[in-house]
Amino acid sequence: MSLVDSMSMAKPNPQARERILVKLHGRELLNCFQCMKCTSGCTALKLLELKPHEIEKLVNLSLVDELASSDIIWTCATCLKCVQRCPQKASPYHVIMALRNLTVEREVKVPEAYMKAVSLVLESGLAEAAQKITTRTMQICDRESLKLPKIGTPRESFQAVFLKTLEEK
Amino acid sequence: MKLAAFWGCRILTSQYAYEMSVREVLPKLGVELVDLREALCCGDPVKSVNDFAANYLGARVLALANLTGLCDVLVPCNRCHFVISEAKHLLETDVRARAKIEDLLKEENLGYNPNIRLWHTIDLLHDCIGLSRIRRTVARPLKGLKLAVHYGCQILRYSSLGRVDDAENPRKLDELIKTLGAETLDYAERLDCCGSALMYSHADSALSLASSKLKAIQALNVDGLVVSCPDCGYMFDAKQKDGASVIGAKLSLPVLYYTQLLGLALGIAQDKLGLHLNQSPIDQFLAKVPV
Amino acid sequence: MTRIGVYVCHCGLNIAGIVDVERVAEYAKSLPNVAVAKDYTYMCSDPGQRMIQDDIKAHKLDRVVIATCSPRMHEETFRKAVAEAGLNPYLTEIVNLREQVSWPHTHEPEKATEKAKALVRMGVARVRLSEPLKKRKVSVEKNVLVVGGGIAGIQASLDLANAGFKVCLVEKAPSVGGRMAQLDKTFPTLDCSACILTPKMVDVAKHPNITLLTNSEVVGLKGFVGNFEVSILKKPRYVDESRCVGCELCTKVCPVKVPDRFNEKLDQTRAISIYSSHAVPKIAAVNSSYCLRLKTGKDVCGKCLEVCEAKAIDFGQKPETIQIRVGGIILAVGSDVFDASKMCEAGYGRFPNVISNIEFERISDASGPTQGKILSPKTGQPPKNMVFIQCIGSRDKRFHEYCCRVGCMVSLKQAILAREKLGEDVNIYVCFNDLRSFGKGYEEFYRRARDMDINFVAGIPSDIRMAADGSLYFDVFDRGTNKLLEMHADLVVLANGLVPSEDIKKINEIFHALRSADGFLLEVHPKLRPLECSTAGIFLAGTCQGPKDIPDTVAQASGAAAKALDLLSSGEIELEPLKAVIDKDLCSGCRVCESLCPFLAIEVKNEEEDDAEKLRAEVIEAVCQGCGLCSAACPTGAIKIQQYGSKQVLAQVDAALTEISAKGGN
Repeated sequence: MSLVDSMSMAKPNPQARERILVKLHGRELLNCFQCMKCTSGCTALKLLELKPHEIEKLVNLSLVDELASSDIIWTCATCLKCVQRCPQKASPYHVIMALRNLTVEREVKVPEAYMKAVSLVLESGLAEAAQKITTRTMQICDRESLKLPKIGTPRESFQAVFLKTLEEK
Repeated sequence: MKLAAFWGCRILTSQYAYEMSVREVLPKLGVELVDLREALCCGDPVKSVNDFAANYLGARVLALANLTGLCDVLVPCNRCHFVISEAKHLLETDVRARAKIEDLLKEENLGYNPNIRLWHTIDLLHDCIGLSRIRRTVARPLKGLKLAVHYGCQILRYSSLGRVDDAENPRKLDELIKTLGAETLDYAERLDCCGSALMYSHADSALSLASSKLKAIQALNVDGLVVSCPDCGYMFDAKQKDGASVIGAKLSLPVLYYTQLLGLALGIAQDKLGLHLNQSPIDQFLAKVPV
Repeated sequence: MTRIGVYVCHCGLNIAGIVDVERVAEYAKSLPNVAVAKDYTYMCSDPGQRMIQDDIKAHKLDRVVIATCSPRMHEETFRKAVAEAGLNPYLTEIVNLREQVSWPHTHEPEKATEKAKALVRMGVARVRLSEPLKKRKVSVEKNVLVVGGGIAGIQASLDLANAGFKVCLVEKAPSVGGRMAQLDKTFPTLDCSACILTPKMVDVAKHPNITLLTNSEVVGLKGFVGNFEVSILKKPRYVDESRCVGCELCTKVCPVKVPDRFNEKLDQTRAISIYSSHAVPKIAAVNSSYCLRLKTGKDVCGKCLEVCEAKAIDFGQKPETIQIRVGGIILAVGSDVFDASKMCEAGYGRFPNVISNIEFERISDASGPTQGKILSPKTGQPPKNMVFIQCIGSRDKRFHEYCCRVGCMVSLKQAILAREKLGEDVNIYVCFNDLRSFGKGYEEFYRRARDMDINFVAGIPSDIRMAADGSLYFDVFDRGTNKLLEMHADLVVLANGLVPSEDIKKINEIFHALRSADGFLLEVHPKLRPLECSTAGIFLAGTCQGPKDIPDTVAQASGAAAKALDLLSSGEIELEPLKAVIDKDLCSGCRVCESLCPFLAIEVKNEEEDDAEKLRAEVIEAVCQGCGLCSAACPTGAIKIQQYGSKQVLAQVDAALTEISAKGGN
C-alpha cells in the first residue's frame, strides 16, 4: 500500500481505476497535468463546487470509492468545455460519466430523476411523458390539438433487449 | 431532398413549436421529412446510468432511420445529435462494441448502416440547403432586428468528434440569421451553457445558469434570443419566469427557435410556427417584425 | 580456408543478463570456418579490443564477428581496432544481441539465447562472403554556407571565419539579427539585446572571410558532402548597396504605408525603408508588393528618387542567382512564434488588449512602436492590471505537444521589465501550469520576480472575455488557495510558444533535412550526434533544431562551427564504401533507379560502348547513402549494395533457416 488519504483514511482502489480506464475507451486520463483549465471554465463550479481537475487527480491516484458514493459527480452540466479545452485530452466529462456508471453498478445512490427516465424509456420508448402546454393566452394545447403526427411505440422486442444492455458492465 | 427525421423526446412531448416550425419551413426549401415509425429516446439520460445501453439506443436510432431507406437523418435536438454522434464514433472505432450492438439489433430485426449521415437543423440549412437558396426564398426580410444567438453546447463540442460548427467561433447560425436580413452580435457569454442537464438533479442551479445568461443578454438591448435546441429552448423560454425568480431578476426577453424566425421571414403564418406556444414575451418581438 | 573469430559480448548485464553468452560462444565454435570463439564482459573496452587484435595475429584470422550491441554504437570502434591489427575493417560483422535480442525479449531468456545463436550463425554465414573494401578520399572545399543570419548563424559564421574558413552567410530578411534583434532585454542578466548583438552583426558584415548576402534565399542544392553546389537567389532591393548611405530620406517621403514586420505589425513603415533601427547592412529596400511603381509597372510616384542624394535607388534592379561551391552547410534558419489566433478562447486577434510575448518585446523596446512605453498597443493606455498567461500553443495536444522551453523565462523577464517601467502600483500576475526556470541563474531570476511583488497564480484560465470598455476578465482556479479567482486585466500578455519556421518545408526539401515529429529539424542522435543533420555535411544550429534560449543557441552554433571545421579542415574526407555499385554489363538504362533514388545519387548518362551510345546508370559515390532502394528495384539485378548483394543476404537466410529445417519444418 503506497498511500492513504489522511483525512478520510481512504485507500487507493486500483481495480476501480482500471474499470474507469476501460470505460474511457482509451481517453487519456493518465495524462492530466493539473493545469486547471477545466476547473477554471467549469459551468458547475460556482454554484455546485464541481472541480473536474480534482476528480481527475483522485481517479488517477485510484481514490475512486469516495467519488463513487459522492454527490459531486452528479453536478456536471455536460457542457463539454473541459473536453474541448483540455490540452492533454484527459476529458473530465468522460471520467465523470464513467464514475456515474460505476455508481449505478454498485447500486449506490443515484438521483431519482435518472432512474425515472430509464423506466419511462422502457415503458414507452421516450424519456419524457407528453405534456399539455398553456399558451400566453391561456389556451391549452397538445399534439392532437396542434395536429402533429401521433407518436409511434417501440416494437415488442425493445424492452427485453434494452434491459439486456443495462446489464452490460 | 429527403431525410429521415428523429425528434428525440423533448420536442415530441413539450417543445411542439420547434417541431411545427421545422415541418413548416423545410418543404418551402425543397426538403421532405420522413418520420421514423417508432419513437425512441436517443439515450441521453441513460448515459449517466450505463454508457453501453445509451450507445445501443443511439445505434438503434440509426437502425430505425435505416428502415426508411434514406441515407440522411435530421436530428434537431443538440443533445440527441451529440449522443448519436458518440454512438456512431464508438461503432466506428471499437470492433467488439460494434459486434455486440449489431447482435442486439439483430434480435430486434434491425441493422446498423454506417453510411447514414447525421444532420442538425443548423448544418442542414447552412451547408446543405445553403444561404443563397434561403435568401431567395425570403418573402419578408427581417430588417432592423438585432438578435443574440445561443448555439448550445453539444452541437459545438467537442471538435474531435466532428460537430456542426466551430467550437470556439461558431458562425453558421449567425450567418443563417443575417441571410434573413437581421443582425446578430457577439457577446462574452456566447458559448456558455443553458444548464438544462442539471434539471435532473439540481434544478435551482440549472435555472440560475440559464437566467444569468438571459440577464447578460438582456443588458445588450437586443430584440430577442435565437436558439436551436429544445433543451435550450425549454430553459430560456418555458422556464424564463422560474429562472428569474431564482436569481431575483426581472427577465423579459423574447426567445424563439431559428426555424420560427426563418418561418416568419418566409411569410408563414405565426400560429403555424407555434409562436403562440412560446412562453417568453414573444409579442414584443413580433411587434418589431416588419410587415 | 577462411578463419573466422567470433566474439560474444556480455555488455555487462545488458546482454548477459538475458542471453546465455557462454553457450552462444560455445555454439559458435561448432560453426564451419570458426577458428576461435570467445565471450567477454565489454568487447568495446580496451582489453576487449586487444583480445581481438591479439587473436587476429595468433590465430591468423581473416574475418571477425562481434556479437554485441547495435552497430550504430561501436561498429566504427571495432573496424578501427581490426584495421590496426592489419585486417581490412570491412571484414568485420556486427551481430546485434542487445537491441535485437536481450532488450526486446527480456522475459524469455531461453528463446532469446536460441535467437542469439541463430543471429551469430547468420553473421558467420554473411561475413564468410564479405570482401575487403576501402574508404575513398575526396577533396573538399574549405568553405561553409551558413543559412540564416540570426544569432546562431552569426555566431557560427564568426567562429568559422576566425578559424580561417570562408563563409557565405545567407539571410532572408534585408538585415541580419533575426529574433534576438527584436528583443528588448535578455534573461537572466537583463542585458540589452541590441547592445550585445549589434557588435556581432557589424563584425559579420565587416569580416574579410564572410560574404554576407541579405535579402537572399537558398533555392537549390546539388552535390554532396565536401562538394556542395548551392544556388542562391538574391532578391532585388531596388537600391544600390554600394551607394545607399542609410540616411532614410526616402522613407520620410514615401506615401505608401506598409505593416512593419520587424515591429510585429504593431505600427507601419513605408514601402521603401530600412528594415529595423539597428539594421546591418543599413541599406534601404523597396517592398515590391506595396511600392506603387513596382506594383503597377508604371512610371508613377518616384518621390524617393527625387530626394535620394546618393542616387542609390534603382527600380530596374533584377533578381540575381548566385552559384557557390561549399564544403559544408550550417542550417540556422530559426523558428516562428505560435499564432495565438488559432487558440480562439485566448482572445488574441479578437480583443485589442490581448497581445503576444513577441509583441510585448517590441513595445518594451525603446526603439519600438511605443518608444519603450508599456501601453496596450491599440488602446494607447498604460495598464494598471497586467496578467501573463503561460503555455499558449505549447504542451497542448491540440496544437504543439512540446514545451517551448523559453515561455516561462520570457514572461518572468517581461513581468520584471513591466514592474521596473510601470512602478509599484501596477498589479502583475503570471498564470502558469508549471514554472520552468531551469538554466544557470534562472531560478534566482524567478526569485527576483517574486521579490518584486509579481504574483503567481497556479492555474490556466479556460477562456478570456472582454468587457464593453475593452478590458479583459476571466476566471482562473488557483491550486495554491483552492479558490476560483475572477481576474481583471487591462493588458494580457500571452506566452506564445516557438514553432517550426514557415520555411521549414522548403528547408526540408532543398537540403533533404529530415524533421522530427514536432516539426523541427531532426538531429542524427540527440546525445551522440546532436549537431548533425540527416544529410552528410550539413549541421544544425539554433531554434530550427528545437526551441531554446540564447545561451543554448550560441553554444550550439559554436558547436556546429566546430563540426564543420572538423569535417573540412584536413581538406579531404573519407567516404564509406558501403554504396551502390552498378554492373554496367547488366544495366539496360531503364532509369528506374534514377527516379527512385531519394538522394539523387544516380545519374543515367549516355556512354560510348562499342561505337554506339548507350544509356547507362552511374552512382555518385559521395552522395549515395547505401539505402538499397535502387538495388531492390533494378529489374536486371545490375545494382548491388556493397556487402548487401544477393549472395550474402541469401546466405544469411539459409543460415537462419538451417536449424529450422533440421528440426523438421515450422
